[in-house]
Amino acid sequence: MSQAAAQTSASFSTPTVRFSPSRVWTLAHATMTQLMRMKILPFLLVLCALVVAMGFGLSVINPEKQLGQLKSFSLGSLQIFSIVIGIVATALLLPKDLEDRTLYTILSKPVPRFDYLLGKFIGVLMLIASGLVIMDAILSLILWMQQSVLFDAAVAQLHQDKQDTPEALAQLSEIVARQGLTWNLHWAVWAIFLKASVVTAVAMIISCIASSTLFTIVITFCITLIGHGEALIRDYFFQPNLHSTAKHVASFVLAAIIPDLTQFDVVDSVTNGQIVPWNAVNDMTGIAALYLGVYLFITHLVFVEKEL
Amino acid sequence: MSTTPAVSVKNLTKIFKGSLGKGAFRAVHDVSLTVEAGEVYGLIGPNGSGKSTTMKVILGLLKPTAGETSIFGIPSTEVASRHSVGFLPENPYFYKHLNGRETLHFYGRLCGMNGAKLKSRADEMLALTGLEDAATRRVGGYSKGMLQRLGLAQALIHEPRLLVLDEPTAGVDPAGSRIIRDLIIEFRARGITVLVTSHLLEQMQEVCDRVGIMAHGRMVREGRLEDLIAVENQTEMVLENASPALLAKIDALVKAEGGDTRLLRSGHPRTTLERLFLEATNEPKKS
Repeated sequence: MSQAAAQTSASFSTPTVRFSPSRVWTLAHATMTQLMRMKILPFLLVLCALVVAMGFGLSVINPEKQLGQLKSFSLGSLQIFSIVIGIVATALLLPKDLEDRTLYTILSKPVPRFDYLLGKFIGVLMLIASGLVIMDAILSLILWMQQSVLFDAAVAQLHQDKQDTPEALAQLSEIVARQGLTWNLHWAVWAIFLKASVVTAVAMIISCIASSTLFTIVITFCITLIGHGEALIRDYFFQPNLHSTAKHVASFVLAAIIPDLTQFDVVDSVTNGQIVPWNAVNDMTGIAALYLGVYLFITHLVFVEKEL
Repeated sequence: MSTTPAVSVKNLTKIFKGSLGKGAFRAVHDVSLTVEAGEVYGLIGPNGSGKSTTMKVILGLLKPTAGETSIFGIPSTEVASRHSVGFLPENPYFYKHLNGRETLHFYGRLCGMNGAKLKSRADEMLALTGLEDAATRRVGGYSKGMLQRLGLAQALIHEPRLLVLDEPTAGVDPAGSRIIRDLIIEFRARGITVLVTSHLLEQMQEVCDRVGIMAHGRMVREGRLEDLIAVENQTEMVLENASPALLAKIDALVKAEGGDTRLLRSGHPRTTLERLFLEATNEPKKS
């Protein structure tokens, strides 16, 4: 043994490895940058351009219908975009790191597997969140511009028809304010983010179990579809056959295995101009946090045993 | 002085479970080896002999079916054991969107390094591996040899006491291969323990203190290289500028000795093809 080696051996003390937020951030940042380079951002910009074009392209029918259509189309697109990005990005990340052996170089460093998983997960969520924030800002701007344009056009029409009574104008103003830019729009975007987060966590579990990207994508899409119809399944199978306690247990088990994604469906309410109450936002956030906690724990249990 | 070995593998067996009706596969069978601190240990064997599986178990990437492995006395199953080890996998790839320096910063941060210390360490590693000029180039544009050297730099970024190199010269041209070989020799001089696998036996012979030969998942030979390759009952003597008369005298002396002593062969020693290649490709261009 060389002298240098002997000195190093004698003087070295091994520190313990704990959960490190900075390490998770390093992995999350690298993951987000990696995904940005996969041309996901141009896709987002094209989507933005389409929404902008649609916002100005619709003919003036009536303000309520037009603003509702704009929100419905935009929020629907955002929902699909965020779920697709969540599933595809997650399904690609782990197999790609494994195939390129990047996973070996990372996990052969003092990096706990949970830190790696969490970093990857947060990286995907950061990408989705960035996209949604950009889209939310653009949509808010378009709504704000459109609501004043439509209001002025509708007032002009009422004036032309000699129906511009104070009552009619007040009613028009109330409709435009309700359907225009309100906090409801941001809550709808928040709900979309929560739903995409839960779907991403499901994709993460499947990705850790399966070795095929295609399998992960197909199965997660299936679970997402079932998750949107879970209330129907519950009603159809459990309602007539089971007693109350058994029904609750069975519903709980079903909801634990397949997330009940209808819990995050507020887009229709927002499109119809209904108010999303605070407690509904809190409930959605709590349910999403519960799902994420459970799914990340399961993912960790699977990944820690995974043979690489 | 610490006597804890850098790597200890005791009775390691690794069986991969079969899936979809396929039977289980025993990749490693009852393998034991010890790598002492400061030495270069070569693990050699044909494809499928269990070398990479053994390395992955040592690094904690795979769990042993039976037996145990440790790095400087810490079980490989503990993440803390990875503080002391740097790993270069076969044909590594890195995030293509990062440049060489950013790649080293990324791996350094994973090891808890940051600030000026990380920057100076990354620059030191770039200089050591000869990648200073390519430090700001995207890794996606690196040649295979440069990727291998970057792999070595990332393996060394956190100042590990043990380097595990899986086929470090695979796919690299002879000049790049020579650079990596020289680096391994330098690591040993710096007191870094190296565990290396390679198919290039001649190179292994040049750098390894001890070797283990694996076949069919078992360790079939292990020991100091000089002991393993020495032919005990033969003696080699290399003369320079010897005249034919002197050679004739030596031949006569051997014959006069009688008994079992025989001159088996004499002639000009041959250089290696690798050395010939390097000399030929490094000659200045003739106008």
